[in-house]
Amino acid sequence: MINLLALLVQRTKPLTLKQIRQELVGQYPESDTAARAAFERDKGDLRALGIPIELITLGGDQAGEGAYRVDRKSFELDDLGLTDEERSALQFAMATVRVGASHGDEALWKLGGERALNAQSTSLNIQLDDELMSTLADGVVEHRTLKFLYKGEMRNVDPYGLLARAGFWYLVGFDQLRADRRTFRVDRIEGEILVGDRGSFSRPKDFDLQKAVPTEAELLAEGHGDDAVATVLVDASLAGGVRTQFGKQSVIKEHLDGSVEFAIPCANLTAFRVWLFAMVDKATVIGPPRVRKQVVTWLTEQAGGR
Amino acid sequence: MAMRKSRRGPRGAAERVEGLLVMLPWLISRKRVKLSDMAKQFKLSEKELMNDLMMAAMCGVPPYTPDALIDVFVDEGEVVAEVPLMFSRPLQLNSAELFALQAMGSAALAMPGADKKGPLASALKKLQPLLPKGDAVVEVDVRAVEYLAEAQHAVATGQFVAIDYFSPITGTHSSRTIFPRAVFEQMGHWYVRADDDQSGEIRNFRIDRIKQFTPTGKTTAPIIEGIEAEVDFFGTDLETATLLVRPAALRLVETYPYISREPQSDGSVRIELAVGSQQWLGRLLLRGGDAIDVLEPVKWVDLGKHTAQAVLKRYS
Repeated sequence: MINLLALLVQRTKPLTLKQIRQELVGQYPESDTAARAAFERDKGDLRALGIPIELITLGGDQAGEGAYRVDRKSFELDDLGLTDEERSALQFAMATVRVGASHGDEALWKLGGERALNAQSTSLNIQLDDELMSTLADGVVEHRTLKFLYKGEMRNVDPYGLLARAGFWYLVGFDQLRADRRTFRVDRIEGEILVGDRGSFSRPKDFDLQKAVPTEAELLAEGHGDDAVATVLVDASLAGGVRTQFGKQSVIKEHLDGSVEFAIPCANLTAFRVWLFAMVDKATVIGPPRVRKQVVTWLTEQAGGR
Repeated sequence: MAMRKSRRGPRGAAERVEGLLVMLPWLISRKRVKLSDMAKQFKLSEKELMNDLMMAAMCGVPPYTPDALIDVFVDEGEVVAEVPLMFSRPLQLNSAELFALQAMGSAALAMPGADKKGPLASALKKLQPLLPKGDAVVEVDVRAVEYLAEAQHAVATGQFVAIDYFSPITGTHSSRTIFPRAVFEQMGHWYVRADDDQSGEIRNFRIDRIKQFTPTGKTTAPIIEGIEAEVDFFGTDLETATLLVRPAALRLVETYPYISREPQSDGSVRIELAVGSQQWLGRLLLRGGDAIDVLEPVKWVDLGKHTAQAVLKRYS
């Protein structure tokens, strides 16, 4: 395969299969049928590596005959002008952020860098396996529609982007089944993903990947509850975490024992419940009365058994 | 639609050629590299690398004169390469490689203390033209927590640190002296992996549960323990619980790693989870409300009820 590539790159004129077989003596079988099959396999493998082989229809004495050539500019990486310092920075980034897949290492080698072999003091884990990353990347980078099973339904999705948040990868795109924009948790995609043709869709110009997947704080505010904000008293042991999550502006009052009253969005009561009860008995809703009453009702129903 | 090929399994001829087309430009830019170093770099055994290099050495362009062959050989444990001009440039980055560079690069740039105008930022800017115009196709949301930078500094400088740590399982605070070895993020939380004087073991502490982080003044040579993959917090000897989870609580329960997941005909899902502690499961049941039932073990069937009774006391 390398010999075929070298030959097609070196020769200035396109070569027919017959000429290729004459040049690469002993590389292809004697039989025309077997030689064609072997050549097609090599051609396919090279194309899969991102090396396009162009088919030219000849004229003149060879009118109608097909000939092949490879333009090295079509597969060679241009010099991006990376400095050694920039390569080192990329190397450090690859070593620190661990996605599990090996594509980062391969990219680094192509850019002339080396993967770090020593242990890193800080690491961030956002695992995604090789095959899945390759498929999803083809979808979002090359605008290919993806087809997969999700929650028992076959979806055709135009993938706009991928976001890693809080340990999970989310695929955001246009779901043709629902005729609307949807977010899919990648680890919940069932079975294999089929990949459509390049350039199958255009991504909306106003698309914002970060905003497409709401944070927990944003989720709490997205609802139709009668009250938009609840006052929640949080024990000192957990107050720091709540302050980090909702910001200093959410603090209403700090008590001497370290407990803090916060203003927390609660328009989405279901999400509010999930958030509030994560603190079990370390947080209490003080008001408004309607929200407090709802919390007491939830607790009473659950405490009474089902 | 075309099915993607698996990247797993033994290396086939095409994969070896692909590897060579990556290795050769890398090698020629260095001229000489120790065989053992190169094998380690490319995650191959020395034998595999030798076989691949021998394959390369047999390649070239007709009429196979010495100047048209790939001149690669091993000399005193070093790989030496003089490669024809056609293989001196690397292959273009494919979608997955571009994606990985963007994901890992932007995540590293978003980490606390990263130089937003430094060499990583400028490297990513140089890669930007390779992506479809105007597309930010991948982003990693990195959230900083208090004491993260201090923990990173403690690892790098070999500091012993006194911490006040809150355990939500027991609802108690403990004072410990730890010797941090690594800082890592997993499932959206930052941890410091450290020698713990209280247990005499190496433990992982969630940094957002550290209330005070004070260097003791004692230092030693840093012991940096890289976290190579996801840390298994559950181990193998934990109890398990089987839950019937209705759609309203699926998003919540599926946040946690599960052992098995079995969709039911009514839309609910039977999920088996490893249970770190009874308190942890009680909290999950409280959050899920009537959308979660414990099927097994029997001792936890009323755990949600008992947890709700305890919380209700705060509202009395």
